[in-house]
Amino acid sequence: MTSVAFVGRQNAGKTSLFMHLTGSVQRPINFPGSSVERTEGVVRGEEPPLRVVDLPGISSFEALSRDEEVALSFLTAADSGIDVLCAVVDASKLSVELRFLGQLFRLGQPVVVALNKGDVARSAGRPVDPARLGAELGVRVVETDGLRARGLEALVAALRAAGGAGRPEPLNAEPEVLAARVHDSSEPAKPKRTMSDRLDAVLLHRVLGLPILGLLMLGIFQLVYSGAEPFIGAIEAGQEWLADQVRVLLPPGALRSFAIDGLINGVGSVVVFLPQIALLMALVAVLEASGYMARAAFLLDRILRGFGLSGRSFVPLTSSFACAIPGILASRIITDERDRLATIAVAPLMSCSARLPVYVVLIGAFFPAAWAGLVLLGLYGLGIVVAAVVAWVLRRTVLRGGPSLLMMELPAYQRPALKAVWGQVWTGVREFVALAGTIILGTSVVIWALSYYPRPSDVHERYEAQRNLVEELPEAERAPRLAELAAAEDAAYLEGSYLATAGKAIQPLFAPAGFEWRTTVGVLAAFPARELIVPTLGILHSVGEVDAGDYDLAELGAPTARPNGLRQRLRRARREDGSPAFDSLVALALMIFFALCSQCMATLGAIRRETHSMRWPVFTFVYMTTLAWLAAVGVFQVGRALGLGS
Amino acid sequence: MPNDPVTLDDLSPGARAVVTAVTGGDGVGKRLGDLGFWPGAAVEVGRRAPFGDPTEYALHGYRLALRRAEAALVLVRVAAATG
Repeated sequence: MTSVAFVGRQNAGKTSLFMHLTGSVQRPINFPGSSVERTEGVVRGEEPPLRVVDLPGISSFEALSRDEEVALSFLTAADSGIDVLCAVVDASKLSVELRFLGQLFRLGQPVVVALNKGDVARSAGRPVDPARLGAELGVRVVETDGLRARGLEALVAALRAAGGAGRPEPLNAEPEVLAARVHDSSEPAKPKRTMSDRLDAVLLHRVLGLPILGLLMLGIFQLVYSGAEPFIGAIEAGQEWLADQVRVLLPPGALRSFAIDGLINGVGSVVVFLPQIALLMALVAVLEASGYMARAAFLLDRILRGFGLSGRSFVPLTSSFACAIPGILASRIITDERDRLATIAVAPLMSCSARLPVYVVLIGAFFPAAWAGLVLLGLYGLGIVVAAVVAWVLRRTVLRGGPSLLMMELPAYQRPALKAVWGQVWTGVREFVALAGTIILGTSVVIWALSYYPRPSDVHERYEAQRNLVEELPEAERAPRLAELAAAEDAAYLEGSYLATAGKAIQPLFAPAGFEWRTTVGVLAAFPARELIVPTLGILHSVGEVDAGDYDLAELGAPTARPNGLRQRLRRARREDGSPAFDSLVALALMIFFALCSQCMATLGAIRRETHSMRWPVFTFVYMTTLAWLAAVGVFQVGRALGLGS
Repeated sequence: MPNDPVTLDDLSPGARAVVTAVTGGDGVGKRLGDLGFWPGAAVEVGRRAPFGDPTEYALHGYRLALRRAEAALVLVRVAAATG
């Protein structure tokens, strides 16, 4: 079987072409350098199948980014098993492409050139004659159109035929001389004001550019949050339905609890993020494929550089507002290694959607409606400010070094290919499930076991005795009383669990932040994923199942929504000395802790994967937890000294 | 200043120039070359980002954003000033 590697400079349309050929799904994006890791596929037909490998785009044989390194090391490896190189070339910037081809030819492999984006070259008044180009280069040149899937059969035929071809001769002239020879001169080259120029006049406007970007981002987040809502509701309903089925099938006991609280909730807490992540990825993919994301990086580079990041950090950091994991994966597009590491280290500080339920419960319970929006905005702002400071410090200490590089292409705007967008979303979702799925599920099971055992038998006896008393009550009073007892029994079991014992043991550490022991246990339970503190507080405060309305953003300013809901229970909760367990100051300290802490095992897993070391995840966990603790303690102590809260 | 070497970052938006040489170690100069900044290449200075950096440059029919420090590595001869 002949093996073909697809190589090309960024934005040449290589990945779109590859996807049309193989039908496989992956990421073709306009943002320079975004094809992540190589992908393989097989082209089938009447002839023997063709193995094709898609490599990340290369702008230069002087590799700077990890993507380029991957591509170059593969190309120069003796055992790559590649027979033919398919160079995908953008006809609209032929001279630069010819310089690239000249270097590619030196690798000594047979080359077939796919001349892409001929329409862009024509509309710019510089059409390229493929036959003449082929004659000048001495290799087969096939005209293709990756966006509209044209020229594919001719390309496949040329690739099959090229297997036995010899190595190409070096270029016989300077790139510009060659380019001049093959530009079709029947149409005179006349630089025109293109669509991209007109769009850029507005979108890159020195004054309007940034406000437009801000509005666009606001619109995206509005869409992500509201668009995902019905799906999240459906997932939660499905989770409850499944739990009900298990209750019918399994008797009460460890197995039932494991199935419901360990497995179903563990899987649920991964799946519940998918609607938002998929939607966000789709919108980001559309913006990237259209060429706008490179403009956003251009607009923001100066500001982000002030904090030791780069314009390219924008996409990863923006994605992190939905979930840090796709954000961290997206940081591969950052050319400079130090910029990339700094971006990865601060991405988890962006307030992700897992923090939202925590914020909503606590703001709803302890802040007046008029303040709710402001507090929420402040928590998001806090993450951004701390991220900026941390990045700034990192780039002056552990990540110190010479100036980083931008050198970024601003590709012509184009209509995004839907197939490509879908491919990107699908790949992203798959990566998220593989990573978050295993890690969150694994830690959920561990936390379940710690919160379920040892189940002291005296608890059961005590509540059984009380249940017997209830049986003597009149019929109408029984059901509510029994439900109350069940919730109290759950709380008693949890209170006696290993998790609660651990929570009480570290309670002195969190007492200075104003946390009561149940809150501390909640912080521990939220180790796999932040939002897990909500159900844990629900059980510890004898609410039983927490009503979804308690953490619904739409009910942010409605503290008294449910008389026996989590919000009301938290308001009524007392410490052992009879003082309130919570007030607005404690709630604020807890929210600040959650804004800054790194309670997400999957994020740490993503950091480990993307940095290929344990150093960065450990560092991220330590610095975030330390900052979170310091900030929570600081806010609580200063607030108390000022007499706030109570 | 006819004798001072002019670099790309000295030029204002709208200016046209021809690259005469590219400096820069650590492969940066080579990379600039691979992106199209080789001696003889015609460059037009495009838009500046808010806060004056980076700047967009048009060459070989495409557009590229360079930071000021990167543009300073490209020595040019001014071709003709346009509005």
